[in-house]
Amino acid sequence: MIILKNIEKYYANKGVKSYILRHVSTEIKQGEFVSIMGPSGAGKSTLLNILGMLEEPTYGEYEFMGEDVLSLNERKRIELYRNHIGFVFQAYHLIDEMTVAENIEAPLLYKKVSGAERKSRVADVLDRFNMVAKKDLFPNQLSGGQQQLVGIARALVAQPSIILADEPTGNLQSAQALQIMDLFKKLNEEEGITIIQVTHSEVNAAYGSRILHLLDGVIKEDIAVEQSV
Amino acid sequence: MFKLNLKIAIRNLWKNKGYTLINVGGLAIGLASCMLLLLYVAYEWSYDKHTTGYDRTYVVYTNMKSGDGAVSYAWTSGIMAPYLSSTMPDIAYASHSTYPREYLLSNQDKSFKKFGVYADPSFLKIFDYQMIKGNKDQALKSPNGIILTERFAKVLFGNADPMNKTLKFGGKELLTVEGVMEDVPSSSSIQFDYLMSWELYKKINPWVAGTGWGNGHCLTVIQLRDNSSFEKVNASMNTIFKRNDKGSTAVALIHPLSKWHLYSHFENGKSVGGQIDTLRIFFILAFCILLIACINFMNLSTARSEKRAKEVGVRKAIGAARKSLISQFILESMLLAFLGMIVAFILIEISLPYFNGLLNSYLTLNYADWKFWAVLVGLTLFTGFIAGSYPAFYLSSFEPVKVLKGFSKTGGASLSIRKVLVIFQFVFASSLIICTAVIYQQLTFIQNKPVGYDRNGLVEIPLEGVLEDFSKATLLRDRLLKSGAVSNASLFSLSLTSGGNNTTTVGWPGKGPNESFIFNYRYANSDFVATLGSTMQSGRNFSPQFNDSANTVINEAAVKVMGLKKPVGSVIQIDDRQLTIIGVMKNFVMDNPYQTATPLIIRNGFAGEGVLAMRLNPAQNISTSIAQVQSIMKEINPEYPTSVTFLSDSFEAKFNSEKLLGTLANWFGGFAVFISCLGLLGLTLFMAEQRKKEISIRKVLGANTLHILTLLNKDFIKLVVIANLIAFPVAYIVINKWLSKYEFRVEISFIPFAIAIVLSLLIALFTVSMQSVKVAKANPVDALKYE
Repeated sequence: MIILKNIEKYYANKGVKSYILRHVSTEIKQGEFVSIMGPSGAGKSTLLNILGMLEEPTYGEYEFMGEDVLSLNERKRIELYRNHIGFVFQAYHLIDEMTVAENIEAPLLYKKVSGAERKSRVADVLDRFNMVAKKDLFPNQLSGGQQQLVGIARALVAQPSIILADEPTGNLQSAQALQIMDLFKKLNEEEGITIIQVTHSEVNAAYGSRILHLLDGVIKEDIAVEQSV
Repeated sequence: MFKLNLKIAIRNLWKNKGYTLINVGGLAIGLASCMLLLLYVAYEWSYDKHTTGYDRTYVVYTNMKSGDGAVSYAWTSGIMAPYLSSTMPDIAYASHSTYPREYLLSNQDKSFKKFGVYADPSFLKIFDYQMIKGNKDQALKSPNGIILTERFAKVLFGNADPMNKTLKFGGKELLTVEGVMEDVPSSSSIQFDYLMSWELYKKINPWVAGTGWGNGHCLTVIQLRDNSSFEKVNASMNTIFKRNDKGSTAVALIHPLSKWHLYSHFENGKSVGGQIDTLRIFFILAFCILLIACINFMNLSTARSEKRAKEVGVRKAIGAARKSLISQFILESMLLAFLGMIVAFILIEISLPYFNGLLNSYLTLNYADWKFWAVLVGLTLFTGFIAGSYPAFYLSSFEPVKVLKGFSKTGGASLSIRKVLVIFQFVFASSLIICTAVIYQQLTFIQNKPVGYDRNGLVEIPLEGVLEDFSKATLLRDRLLKSGAVSNASLFSLSLTSGGNNTTTVGWPGKGPNESFIFNYRYANSDFVATLGSTMQSGRNFSPQFNDSANTVINEAAVKVMGLKKPVGSVIQIDDRQLTIIGVMKNFVMDNPYQTATPLIIRNGFAGEGVLAMRLNPAQNISTSIAQVQSIMKEINPEYPTSVTFLSDSFEAKFNSEKLLGTLANWFGGFAVFISCLGLLGLTLFMAEQRKKEISIRKVLGANTLHILTLLNKDFIKLVVIANLIAFPVAYIVINKWLSKYEFRVEISFIPFAIAIVLSLLIALFTVSMQSVKVAKANPVDALKYE
């Protein structure tokens, strides 16, 4: 599904290149649950952003579902992105001025889904996440865990084939974190959604099927996780 | 999508009420000012355009040579119109009429002084007034017919049918109402309450029949069959005097009726603008004020960008294309512009009566007119688009990764754009302050300039009805003098403050063959100089002890143009009459206080018209004197209502257009400053947000509130100073151009510039400090905690 070849990312500052990513090559298949780990500044988030097409690598090749992402024009890339990628952020990043239901509905608007279908999909997702009663609340009226649930619901409503999560539990207490990770695992196993998450936590990484260890922009380790949980 | 965006936009506005208030307020003031000015411009523009053939209609002007140049005026001889219609087939109609003047008209015991015009049937054809009653084709043919306007007919007869009723004109003539016409539109140059026939004019003024080409006593208007013949007709007009009046140097030309009001100034026989110049200024002013209101909006929106940045990032991360974000932000600004327009409406409706009073106009919002709505919608969309475009493009350009990570150092470039915008606003505001100051300086200068006579306590009453008789007029004068109400009085053949009644047929010793000047020509009595409070420069005034019928008094300006070494005793000729100069009086300002006095020739005697000029008795109070004057007037001339005019008032009226410009500059300058301050407030908000961390660190390091205030305010002071430096030359050029049309003008001093810079700095400091004090006093821990 995803093929990265020799991805490099650096910032040139007064002629000195400071590398964020070096020679990153890997392949991620449909249905995998990958955790990217590593210390601060290792380039985890940058890698995730490149995968999510929010950032471009300085050099290298990126193939997403058979399309060469870097050679696509802006419109095509947004199209590809809208249809296949769902993003979940550490700080939830809900739009404060929108209610829960509207936040969830927003990606469908940009995808130009018809009104009736939007309604049914939003209702469906709300139902699945047990948030029907909260649909007219604004983000600041919810707890952190609930906000992140809305964030995930928003990522899911567009029926993506892959979810990219940047430390999804970083701001949450452990009980809520477990709940979120359980949800991810369920989505991965039952609906076959590919999940790539950045995390610091060994516990969270254990939920996945594969761990990429990043250090100073280089993949140090690529290991499969023993399914013990 | 649109519905949701609208909902979000409304929520956003509601959430940031203060910001919305500043924005809507700024836009509303900008829009209201713009609309008002445009309304006025449209009104002035519509002048004389209400008749169907206005674009084929022309006013005949006469150019008279005077000195090196020429003076132009729309006065012609009565014999021109019949000549034109009989000799030029290209002309459909040629009409002669008088200019509107107040005459007495009575219906039995009810008397009114209203404006009337003597006109011929062609006049009705050219200005196709709608007749409500009566037959247009038969009107104004017989000497005793009169057409009333609907308004005046109502005043005279109430609801009764006025047709064929008899009215008494000027206390003598009996006239029959032969028609009622619609009221003259307020945007017409010829304003009257009733029309009388040219035949009546000839009957009352027998001299009219014998006038030659050189005598300008009426208005001639022509209508062409087709505009293509304009060149031909104009060329033929140019030589009309040469062909018909031997030795005449005058040249006639035709000036479009639609330009009569706006392009009324002539220099050397060429139209050089007029009211249109003021109109242009207003037009530019209208859009500049709107522009600075838009700039305000841009400043405030981009200043709030940090708050919106996250939203932009999230929207992009969930799949929004830039286009949809741009349309979202434009939608928000359209919404604000719409709200602003609603408030602007209220402001316009409230201020319209005041504005009308100021401009002496009849502006109304015509809700039934599609053009009004078109301009309104256009203006709102335009404002929304202009104001929203920069924020929309700026905000939508954020890269999601950067803004979601934390929006920190991206403010640099946008800040400098904002600075430029604020500088632009203040350049405009400062220029307006400077211009306003100079306009007021000029006004005070002219008002206080010596006019050559004592305005205070000088009054005049028109000589009408029985007073047109010399014996009655002198009787009035003597009675008034005896009563003690007035200390001096003299008949004068025209109001003291009006121009006109001039002649070029003056000869003097040593006059060159091609020398020609315009002289004002008046009649007065012996007490004239004392009544005015003026003095003789040399020689003597008319005196009852001498027979002065062949003598004349001239003014200094006349001596100068004639170049007489020893004026007293010299003999001059007017028409064919020999007059000996017995005295030279000091110049005094008659019609135009902005120009040097016109040469003046005064003869002793009475012309059967004019005014009685009087100096009120300084020993008693004014109201007693006026009451005495009125009771004596009532006795001698009971038919006419007494109207006493104070010279100081009519003199003051000559400054109306300058006063108006001053007041408008004051108002709109005030608005400009106010809106600019709102913009500055926006910029301060942004700066405070940006430098929160820096300020906190400085405070932790030991800076006190004063240090922080200086730090924050310094930048804004710089902006305002730069704006002033740019404004100085701009304002200098503009105001210098304005002043250059006045012969007497103030020197441009540094004072207006000092006022501008001090005022703008003070206002700016005050605005900025409102916000920066808050920041400087904030607890540093609050800001640092979130880093």
